[in-house]
Amino acid sequence: MACFAISAGAAVVVAASKYVVRHFEKKAEVKCAASNNEETNTIRKFGSEVKVSKKLGYLELALFAGSFLLLIEHIIHGEIIPYFPFFTAAATELGTQEMLYEMGTVGVTMTLAITFAWGIGVLISDFVRYRKQFKKTSKTQD
Amino acid sequence: MYLITTIVATAISVVLWIFFKDRKGLHLDILAVIFGAASLMWLIDSFFSLASEGVFVSFTDPKDGWIALFTLIGGLFAWLLLSFILNNSAKSSNK
Repeated sequence: MACFAISAGAAVVVAASKYVVRHFEKKAEVKCAASNNEETNTIRKFGSEVKVSKKLGYLELALFAGSFLLLIEHIIHGEIIPYFPFFTAAATELGTQEMLYEMGTVGVTMTLAITFAWGIGVLISDFVRYRKQFKKTSKTQD
Repeated sequence: MYLITTIVATAISVVLWIFFKDRKGLHLDILAVIFGAASLMWLIDSFFSLASEGVFVSFTDPKDGWIALFTLIGGLFAWLLLSFILNNSAKSSNK
């Protein structure tokens, strides 16, 4: 009915937080360049190879893309109309209740599943990159 | 039916992403994420319909074929649009 609306809302929140994080990353970069501290430039912590804003970009893409494709499905099913109240289920009180229930169960689970899958993906990618970096530094030390 | 279509599309795009790993301009990671996210969302929806109606995937609705087709077109269109924007923004930042 409107389960994709939760993911779309979450995508908007993630997009906003991505821009905030990017702002702080740029600030930190400028600070780092100004101090010209070699130690801070060479030390690589786990997960620091890829910027957090880029990682959030993938979550934003997944949430927006999933919502977009589900929107297509809902339009073809005739659950969305181009005039108020936009959702056919919202025309009646019982339908609205059903719609809100579906948003709270299916919609929230969808959003959590996407976030969980993204978290696992980020963790695996960070681990692979960290291992590569670790092998490189141990080779140069030898 | 559209769940199966998107799962197959995800598998194909992941294989292509691995195969063309060095060609970053294609942005095949975006295509894989688009279809992967939709597959996961419909998978959750299917589990809920299994719990409530006892049906996991339905093949009876005649609209399903159209949904599968338009889902593929929509996903490919989003990928082309995003790739175009990302490639152009990379070009303009290099100038």
